Amino acid sequence: MAEIVGVLGVTHNPLMWASLRETVPPDLAHVAANFDRLRSHVAGLRPDVIVLVASDHFHMFMMSNMPAFLIGKAPRMRAGHPNESRGFGLETTMVLGDPGLGAHLLGGPDLAPVFDFSFSDEPWIDHSFLVPLLLLTPDLDIPVVPVFSNCNAPPIPVAARFAALGSYLAEAIATFPSAQRVLLVGSGHLAHELGGPRQFLGVSPDPGFDEKAVSWMAEGDLEGAVAGTGFGRLTEAGNESYQFLNFITCLAATGGRQATMAEGTPTRFGNLPFFSWDMT
Amino acid sequence: MSRYMVNKLLWDVDRSDEALTRFKEDPAVFLDDWESLAERPFPPYPDGGHLTDTERAAVESRDYGALYAMGVNPFLLWQFARSVSVPDELGIDGLITSFREAVAPHGYPDFYT
Repeated sequence: MAEIVGVLGVTHNPLMWASLRETVPPDLAHVAANFDRLRSHVAGLRPDVIVLVASDHFHMFMMSNMPAFLIGKAPRMRAGHPNESRGFGLETTMVLGDPGLGAHLLGGPDLAPVFDFSFSDEPWIDHSFLVPLLLLTPDLDIPVVPVFSNCNAPPIPVAARFAALGSYLAEAIATFPSAQRVLLVGSGHLAHELGGPRQFLGVSPDPGFDEKAVSWMAEGDLEGAVAGTGFGRLTEAGNESYQFLNFITCLAATGGRQATMAEGTPTRFGNLPFFSWDMT
Repeated sequence: MSRYMVNKLLWDVDRSDEALTRFKEDPAVFLDDWESLAERPFPPYPDGGHLTDTERAAVESRDYGALYAMGVNPFLLWQFARSVSVPDELGIDGLITSFREAVAPHGYPDFYT
C-alpha cells in the first residue's frame, strides 16, 4: 500500500518567491535557509508523488463555479496563469500529475464515503501550488495530485471539515494499492491580509494568532487548532488567514502528531509558516 | 446590489492582458462593451454582466473605498487595483498608501457572495 513518508506545511507567497529569485535579501535569509532545509528533507524522503493541498486564488475557479474541495486527476497539468506571469514573473509551465492516485482519493468501494469531492480532469494550478513546488522540488520531476480547497470565497468550509479532509486523505492514501512513497504538502498562511486595511504592514497583522497557530502544530493540538480557527477569528487575524486551514488538514493527516519543525518566520511579508512532521 | 457581478468585472479585467489594456485605455468604453455582452441572446451564459449605477460609477472612477465597502472580494479588489495602476500611474508604495487610506474607514465588510 502507499505510504505517507512526510508531511509539510509551507507558505506560497508569490512576492516572497520573486524576492528569493536573485540575491537573497537579508530579511529573507532565514526563509531561504528554511526552504534549503526542507528541499534537502524532501530529497531524503524520496517521494514518488506529492499530494498538495492548496487554495486556488480565482484562477481556475471563480464564484461562477466554486468547489469547496476538488481533486485534480490528470497526467499533466498547466501551472501558472497569465496575470501571475505579469504580476510576479511566474512563468506558465507544466507539472506532472498522477491520475491513478487522484482517482483513488476521490473515493471507491473500499473507502468510506466521507467526502463528496468535486474533480477535474484538466486542472490548471496557480501560484498557491506552483510556488511550493518550485521551492521544494525545483526540477518539477515528481508527479502531483492537487487538492483544491476554497479558502478565498466565503462561505468557506469550517475548520472541522479541513480536519476531516486530512484524516480522510491519510486513510485513503494508506489504502491505495501501490508502493508509492507519498509526500503530503499543505500550503497557506499564518495571519495574512490582502486588499484590506492591514495589508503590507511589514509585520504580521496578528502576532498573537501566529504564536498560537505555531504552537498548535508544535504540540500536535488538533482540537485546539479547530476550536481556534472559526471564520470570525480568522478574519480578525487578517482577511487572507483562511488559508491557515490547509495546515489543519496536514495536522489531521498526521493523526495529531507534534511537528518537528514549526515556525512563523518573521519577514516583511508577515510571519511565514514552516511546518514539518516526521511520519516514520 | 450585485456583489458577484462587480467581482466578475474586476476578475475579467485582471485575468487577461488584452482586457487590462482595453480597460486602462478607456474604462467607460470597456464597461459599455462588457455590459452589452450580457444583452446578447447567445451564448446563454453571457461573458459580460450588469452593474448598478453606483457600482459602475465606483469601478469607472476606481473608488476603492466604495468598492471595498460594498463587500467586493478584497483579494480581487487588490489585484485589480495593482494591475490597473502599477506601474503606469503609481509606484507600488504609492498605491499601498492610497489604497489603505481608501479602505481603512470601512473596517471589515461582509464579502460573502
